[in-house]
Amino acid sequence: MARYIVGSVSELPPSSRRIVSVKGREIGVFNVKGRYYALRNLCPHQGAPLCRGELTGLAWSDEPGEIEWTRAGEILRCPWHGWEFDIRTGSTVFQSRARVKTYDVHIEKAALERLIEGVETYPVRVEDEVVILEY
Amino acid sequence: MRERLISRANAGADALSKRVTLIDCDVHPYLRYADELRDYMREPWRSRAIPSRRQIYLPPGDGRRLDAFPDDGAPAGADPLMMEKQVLRGIGADYLVLIPSSSVSIIPDPTFAAEVARAWNDWQLDTWLGKYNWHGRYKSSIVIAPQHPERAVEEIERLAGHPHLVQVLVGSSAPAAYGKRQYHPIWEAAARHSLPVALHVESPVGPSPPTPLGYPTYFLEFHTLYPAIYMTHLVSLIAEGVFEKYPAFKFVFVEGGSAWLAPIMWRMDKDWRGARSEVPWLKRKPSDYLRDHIRFSTQPIEEPDNPRHLLQIFDMMDAEHVLMFASDYPHWDFDDPQRAFPRMPAALKRRIFCENARELYNLPATRPVDDLDSVASSAQPTAPEATD
Repeated sequence: MARYIVGSVSELPPSSRRIVSVKGREIGVFNVKGRYYALRNLCPHQGAPLCRGELTGLAWSDEPGEIEWTRAGEILRCPWHGWEFDIRTGSTVFQSRARVKTYDVHIEKAALERLIEGVETYPVRVEDEVVILEY
Repeated sequence: MRERLISRANAGADALSKRVTLIDCDVHPYLRYADELRDYMREPWRSRAIPSRRQIYLPPGDGRRLDAFPDDGAPAGADPLMMEKQVLRGIGADYLVLIPSSSVSIIPDPTFAAEVARAWNDWQLDTWLGKYNWHGRYKSSIVIAPQHPERAVEEIERLAGHPHLVQVLVGSSAPAAYGKRQYHPIWEAAARHSLPVALHVESPVGPSPPTPLGYPTYFLEFHTLYPAIYMTHLVSLIAEGVFEKYPAFKFVFVEGGSAWLAPIMWRMDKDWRGARSEVPWLKRKPSDYLRDHIRFSTQPIEEPDNPRHLLQIFDMMDAEHVLMFASDYPHWDFDDPQRAFPRMPAALKRRIFCENARELYNLPATRPVDDLDSVASSAQPTAPEATD
């Protein structure tokens, strides 16, 4: 497993996302309320750029006509057909076998001496905390 | 009739029973004369003329099998002896699920409509479920006026538990699709009493036009397009979460065809994957509600040029669990169980001709042999089966 620096923490503030390219695969990295998530930018349904979709919440209901709003910001909705994916698991929120690949993301404090393979070419100051993508 | 009753009493100790093999889910009993219903009405409505079915599209034979008219001049479907001869004996049906052609849905005054519905029920309790039902093989439908939900619930409460009333009946023409909340109290009452609700086409004149584009020019179009309205009710019932709200609720689509079912459900399933958040009470994909909650009757069965195509469609729509035989006697487009269907595997045939309806209406697996069986012992249903 390789590790990549996506960018500095300051470059990926809450409610932001970056779409990076790793070995020809596009991966969306999201900061949702201080938690980081990464998913392949490819909807398993028809190949849409999933990570360009809206980050939304989960409408839920146990009583027809009444809707609860839960998990705000944790549902990624495909920009083409509107399929909803759980950003934590890559699974659709409805029952299906469709699943988008997810990756581990975490932050480290200036852990790496050097970018192993620059995903993006912007500079990262080594004293910053950086967002690391495990691929 | 009296002789039959005596004969039945004499045969009371007869333990002979017969396996149930054919249930006809759409048979129409008719009034002997239009004013017969008035005998069952209450004042002040009894003294009024009853709004009647308007025949603005003209089907072949004025809509009836021309051999179904009894010699005494009564309307087709009005004579119990003809019913016994042509349906119980004629096609060998063990049980008939009767659907009175009430057309109460066309009556604009909801209270009047509820009174007419009540009269239809009292009429059938007296006749087809009473003095005509010496053999106990007639089951029927509680007529309600869905345009008056409170009275509809009252009527269900009044009649639920009657051993021969096995479902609630509504018309296809409605002021709004049947998933909408105004109807939920009716569905709640039906579900609570374990009564399925059956939808049957009614007069083209009613609270909604017969197609989404109004009134077509010809009977051919009117009749071909029944599915347009049926699809609307089906999609509404699922989308509005009625089957989640009332888990015991079951709905039957009668006479609107069924070959269209798989494609419309594929479409709804696909749309739901994108639009799920709008209807989050749906915990399963729309088509998953079919097997547990929704049934279709066969007549008028589609007749593709290649009969095997119909079997493929049966496979796609899970006919094994959702489809129930119906003849639509005494109407012109009657389907004969021996002639209307392609060759089917025996297991599938038994599901469609008997088991699906038997389970839905909670009918027994065997029934007592009666006088009609001795007359019709050679008339068991023998729709062709695949031999391989």
